[in-house]
Amino acid sequence: SWRSSVAPPAERPGERRAAEMRKLYGEDASKILAMEAAMQLTFERNCDLKRPKYWPVIPLKL
Amino acid sequence: SIPSSAVPGGNTELLQEEQQARSALRESFLRCLLSISNKKVQFHMHENVKVEATFGASDIDVLNFQVSNLHTPIGVQKEALIRCQDVISFTFDV
Amino acid sequence: MPHDWLLLGPLQWFSYVHKQVKVKLGRDEEHRGWLVTVDPVSASLVLVNFTERGASVRVVMGHAVEEVEVLREADPETTELLCTYFLPLETPKLDP
Repeated sequence: SWRSSVAPPAERPGERRAAEMRKLYGEDASKILAMEAAMQLTFERNCDLKRPKYWPVIPLKL
Repeated sequence: SIPSSAVPGGNTELLQEEQQARSALRESFLRCLLSISNKKVQFHMHENVKVEATFGASDIDVLNFQVSNLHTPIGVQKEALIRCQDVISFTFDV
Repeated sequence: MPHDWLLLGPLQWFSYVHKQVKVKLGRDEEHRGWLVTVDPVSASLVLVNFTERGASVRVVMGHAVEEVEVLREADPETTELLCTYFLPLETPKLDP
Protein backbone atom coordinates (compact mmCIF):
# COMPACT_ATOMS: atom_id res chain seq x y z
CA SER A 1 0.00 0.00 0.00
CA TRP A 2 1.00 3.64 -0.21
CA ARG A 3 1.63 3.65 3.52
CA SER A 4 4.51 1.21 3.21
CA SER A 5 6.39 3.66 1.04
CA VAL A 6 6.51 6.38 3.72
CA ALA A 7 8.32 6.43 7.04
CA PRO A 8 6.55 4.55 9.83
CA PRO A 9 4.20 6.87 11.72
CA ALA A 10 5.34 8.16 15.08
CA GLU A 11 3.60 6.72 18.12
CA ARG A 12 0.03 7.88 17.97
CA PRO A 13 -0.81 10.16 20.92
CA GLY A 14 -4.32 8.71 21.19
CA GLU A 15 -2.98 5.23 21.76
CA ARG A 16 -0.50 6.37 24.34
CA ARG A 17 -3.20 8.24 26.23
CA ALA A 18 -5.46 5.19 26.12
CA ALA A 19 -2.68 3.08 27.63
CA GLU A 20 -2.11 5.61 30.39
CA MET A 21 -5.82 5.78 31.12
CA ARG A 22 -5.98 2.00 31.27
CA LYS A 23 -3.25 2.00 33.89
CA LEU A 24 -5.02 4.65 35.96
CA TYR A 25 -8.64 3.60 35.62
CA GLY A 26 -8.52 -0.11 34.73
CA GLU A 27 -11.78 -1.47 33.33
CA ASP A 28 -13.48 1.95 33.43
CA ALA A 29 -10.80 3.64 31.34
CA SER A 30 -12.85 3.89 28.15
CA LYS A 31 -15.83 5.35 30.02
CA ILE A 32 -13.70 8.00 31.74
CA LEU A 33 -11.85 8.71 28.49
CA ALA A 34 -15.17 9.28 26.69
CA MET A 35 -16.48 11.59 29.41
CA GLU A 36 -13.24 13.58 29.42
CA ALA A 37 -13.23 13.85 25.64
CA ALA A 38 -16.78 15.21 25.65
CA MET A 39 -15.98 17.71 28.39
CA GLN A 40 -12.77 18.90 26.77
CA LEU A 41 -14.57 19.31 23.45
CA THR A 42 -17.23 21.48 25.10
CA PHE A 43 -14.55 23.57 26.78
CA GLU A 44 -12.58 24.06 23.57
CA ARG A 45 -15.63 24.81 21.47
CA ASN A 46 -16.87 27.37 24.00
CA CYS A 47 -13.44 29.02 23.94
CA ASP A 48 -13.46 29.08 20.12
CA LEU A 49 -16.92 30.62 20.00
CA LYS A 50 -16.74 33.05 22.90
CA ARG A 51 -13.06 34.01 22.84
CA PRO A 52 -12.83 34.49 26.59
CA LYS A 53 -9.91 36.47 28.02
CA TYR A 54 -8.15 35.62 31.23
CA TRP A 55 -9.38 37.36 34.33
CA PRO A 56 -7.56 38.69 36.13
CA VAL A 57 -5.03 39.49 33.39
CA ILE A 58 -2.16 38.87 35.79
CA PRO A 59 -2.47 35.67 37.84
CA LEU A 60 -3.29 36.23 41.51
CA LYS A 61 -1.10 33.34 42.45
CA LEU A 62 1.87 32.06 40.48
CA SER B 1 7.72 -5.90 58.07
CA ILE B 2 7.11 -7.44 54.66
CA PRO B 3 6.90 -4.89 51.86
CA SER B 4 3.70 -5.27 49.86
CA SER B 5 5.75 -5.83 46.72
CA ALA B 6 6.63 -9.27 48.12
CA VAL B 7 3.10 -10.41 47.32
CA PRO B 8 2.48 -9.87 43.61
CA GLY B 9 -1.05 -11.31 43.79
CA GLY B 10 -2.00 -8.88 46.55
CA ASN B 11 -0.57 -6.07 44.50
CA THR B 12 -2.86 -6.80 41.59
CA GLU B 13 -5.84 -6.74 43.89
CA LEU B 14 -4.70 -3.49 45.45
CA LEU B 15 -4.09 -2.01 42.02
CA GLN B 16 -7.62 -2.93 40.93
CA GLU B 17 -9.07 -1.48 44.11
CA GLU B 18 -7.17 1.71 43.51
CA GLN B 19 -8.33 1.88 39.89
CA GLN B 20 -11.93 1.39 40.98
CA ALA B 21 -11.65 4.08 43.62
CA ARG B 22 -10.01 6.46 41.16
CA SER B 23 -12.61 5.95 38.46
CA ALA B 24 -15.56 6.29 40.87
CA LEU B 25 -14.11 9.53 42.27
CA ARG B 26 -13.26 10.90 38.84
CA GLU B 27 -16.62 10.04 37.29
CA SER B 28 -18.45 11.69 40.15
CA PHE B 29 -16.26 14.78 39.90
CA LEU B 30 -16.74 15.06 36.14
CA ARG B 31 -20.50 14.77 36.61
CA CYS B 32 -20.32 17.50 39.22
CA LEU B 33 -18.51 19.79 36.77
CA LEU B 34 -20.96 18.96 33.99
CA SER B 35 -23.89 19.74 36.27
CA ILE B 36 -22.65 23.30 36.89
CA SER B 37 -23.01 24.32 33.25
CA ASN B 38 -25.14 27.51 33.02
CA LYS B 39 -25.36 27.80 36.80
CA LYS B 40 -24.48 30.88 38.81
CA VAL B 41 -21.24 30.28 40.67
CA GLN B 42 -19.51 32.31 43.37
CA PHE B 43 -15.73 32.13 43.14
CA HIS B 44 -13.64 32.67 46.22
CA MET B 45 -10.15 33.51 45.00
CA HIS B 46 -6.74 34.38 46.37
CA GLU B 47 -6.14 37.93 47.66
CA ASN B 48 -9.67 37.82 49.10
CA VAL B 49 -11.24 38.32 45.68
CA LYS B 50 -14.88 37.22 45.42
CA VAL B 51 -16.64 37.23 42.06
CA GLU B 52 -19.80 35.78 40.58
CA ALA B 53 -20.21 34.33 37.10
CA THR B 54 -22.22 31.89 35.03
CA PHE B 55 -20.27 28.67 34.73
CA GLY B 56 -19.53 27.40 31.24
CA ALA B 57 -17.07 24.54 31.23
CA SER B 58 -13.85 23.29 32.76
CA ASP B 59 -10.95 21.73 30.95
CA ILE B 60 -10.27 18.15 32.02
CA ASP B 61 -7.00 18.96 33.75
CA VAL B 62 -8.83 21.45 35.99
CA LEU B 63 -6.53 24.31 34.99
CA ASN B 64 -9.12 26.75 33.57
CA PHE B 65 -12.79 27.51 33.99
CA GLN B 66 -14.63 29.12 31.09
CA VAL B 67 -17.32 31.48 32.42
CA SER B 68 -19.72 34.16 31.19
CA ASN B 69 -21.01 37.39 32.73
CA LEU B 70 -18.19 37.63 35.23
CA HIS B 71 -18.93 40.36 37.75
CA THR B 72 -15.51 41.83 38.44
CA PRO B 73 -14.93 44.71 40.87
CA ILE B 74 -14.70 47.08 37.86
CA GLY B 75 -17.62 45.81 35.80
CA VAL B 76 -18.99 42.84 33.92
CA GLN B 77 -16.71 40.87 31.62
CA LYS B 78 -18.92 39.05 29.12
CA GLU B 79 -16.61 36.10 28.51
CA ALA B 80 -13.72 35.07 30.73
CA LEU B 81 -11.28 32.34 31.61
CA ILE B 82 -10.45 31.86 35.26
CA ARG B 83 -7.22 30.17 36.26
CA CYS B 84 -7.92 27.39 38.73
CA GLN B 85 -4.67 28.26 40.52
CA ASP B 86 -6.28 31.61 41.41
CA VAL B 87 -9.33 29.89 42.92
CA ILE B 88 -9.55 28.69 46.50
CA SER B 89 -13.11 27.41 46.30
CA PHE B 90 -16.40 28.03 44.53
CA THR B 91 -20.02 27.45 45.43
CA PHE B 92 -23.32 26.87 43.68
CA ASP B 93 -26.80 25.68 44.60
CA VAL B 94 -28.41 22.45 43.45
CA MET C 1 3.79 24.62 50.98
CA PRO C 2 2.95 21.19 49.57
CA HIS C 3 0.54 19.23 51.68
CA ASP C 4 -0.11 15.55 52.22
CA TRP C 5 -3.69 15.89 50.97
CA LEU C 6 -2.41 16.16 47.41
CA LEU C 7 -0.43 12.95 47.81
CA LEU C 8 -2.94 10.73 49.61
CA GLY C 9 -4.09 8.81 46.53
CA PRO C 10 -7.44 7.35 45.44
CA LEU C 11 -7.92 4.77 48.20
CA GLN C 12 -7.27 7.31 50.94
CA TRP C 13 -9.44 9.97 49.30
CA PHE C 14 -12.20 7.44 48.84
CA SER C 15 -12.23 6.75 52.59
CA TYR C 16 -13.49 10.35 53.15
CA VAL C 17 -16.52 9.91 50.87
CA HIS C 18 -19.87 10.48 52.61
CA LYS C 19 -18.23 11.72 55.79
CA GLN C 20 -18.81 15.14 57.25
CA VAL C 21 -15.48 16.91 57.14
CA LYS C 22 -13.84 20.13 58.17
CA VAL C 23 -11.46 21.44 55.51
CA LYS C 24 -8.81 23.83 56.70
CA LEU C 25 -7.44 26.33 54.23
CA GLY C 26 -4.85 28.97 54.97
CA ARG C 27 -5.39 31.93 57.26
CA ASP C 28 -8.09 30.70 59.66
CA GLU C 29 -10.40 29.76 56.81
CA GLU C 30 -12.31 26.52 57.01
CA HIS C 31 -15.34 24.89 55.46
CA ARG C 32 -17.55 22.08 56.66
CA GLY C 33 -19.74 19.78 54.64
CA TRP C 34 -20.51 16.25 53.53
CA LEU C 35 -17.78 15.08 51.21
CA VAL C 36 -19.22 13.71 47.98
CA THR C 37 -16.10 13.14 45.93
CA VAL C 38 -12.45 14.04 45.45
CA ASP C 39 -11.06 14.61 41.97
CA PRO C 40 -8.12 12.20 41.62
CA VAL C 41 -6.52 14.56 39.10
CA SER C 42 -6.55 17.85 41.05
CA ALA C 43 -7.33 16.55 44.57
CA SER C 44 -10.19 19.06 44.63
CA LEU C 45 -13.01 18.06 46.93
CA VAL C 46 -16.75 18.48 46.61
CA LEU C 47 -18.69 19.33 49.76
CA VAL C 48 -22.47 19.36 50.09
CA ASN C 49 -24.51 21.20 52.72
CA PHE C 50 -28.25 20.74 52.86
CA THR C 51 -30.43 23.84 52.79
CA GLU C 52 -34.19 24.51 52.78
CA ARG C 53 -34.14 24.83 49.00
CA GLY C 54 -32.03 21.76 48.34
CA ALA C 55 -28.31 21.87 48.77
CA SER C 56 -25.34 24.13 48.45
CA VAL C 57 -22.22 22.68 46.89
CA ARG C 58 -18.70 23.92 47.50
CA VAL C 59 -15.77 22.74 45.41
CA VAL C 60 -12.49 23.32 47.23
CA MET C 61 -9.43 23.31 44.98
CA GLY C 62 -6.90 20.68 46.00
CA HIS C 63 -3.96 23.08 45.98
CA ALA C 64 -5.63 25.25 48.65
CA VAL C 65 -6.26 22.41 51.12
CA GLU C 66 -4.15 22.37 54.26
CA GLU C 67 -5.95 19.78 56.31
CA VAL C 68 -9.05 17.61 56.15
CA GLU C 69 -10.57 16.36 59.38
CA VAL C 70 -13.44 13.87 59.65
CA LEU C 71 -16.20 15.16 61.95
CA ARG C 72 -18.66 12.29 61.67
CA GLU C 73 -20.00 9.49 59.53
CA ALA C 74 -23.31 9.78 57.72
CA ASP C 75 -26.36 7.93 59.07
CA PRO C 76 -28.14 5.65 56.55
CA GLU C 77 -30.68 8.36 55.69
CA THR C 78 -27.99 10.94 54.93
CA THR C 79 -25.95 8.40 52.98
CA GLU C 80 -28.96 7.66 50.79
CA LEU C 81 -29.45 11.36 50.16
CA LEU C 82 -25.75 11.93 49.44
CA CYS C 83 -25.79 9.06 46.94
CA THR C 84 -28.16 11.07 44.75
CA TYR C 85 -25.53 13.72 44.07
CA PHE C 86 -23.54 13.51 40.82
CA LEU C 87 -24.58 9.96 40.17
CA PRO C 88 -24.30 8.50 36.69
CA LEU C 89 -28.00 9.12 36.08
CA GLU C 90 -27.59 10.28 32.53
CA THR C 91 -24.84 10.11 29.99
CA PRO C 92 -22.97 13.36 29.47
CA LYS C 93 -24.26 15.09 26.38
CA LEU C 94 -22.70 17.59 24.09
CA ASP C 95 -24.39 20.88 23.46
CA PRO C 96 -26.15 20.95 20.07
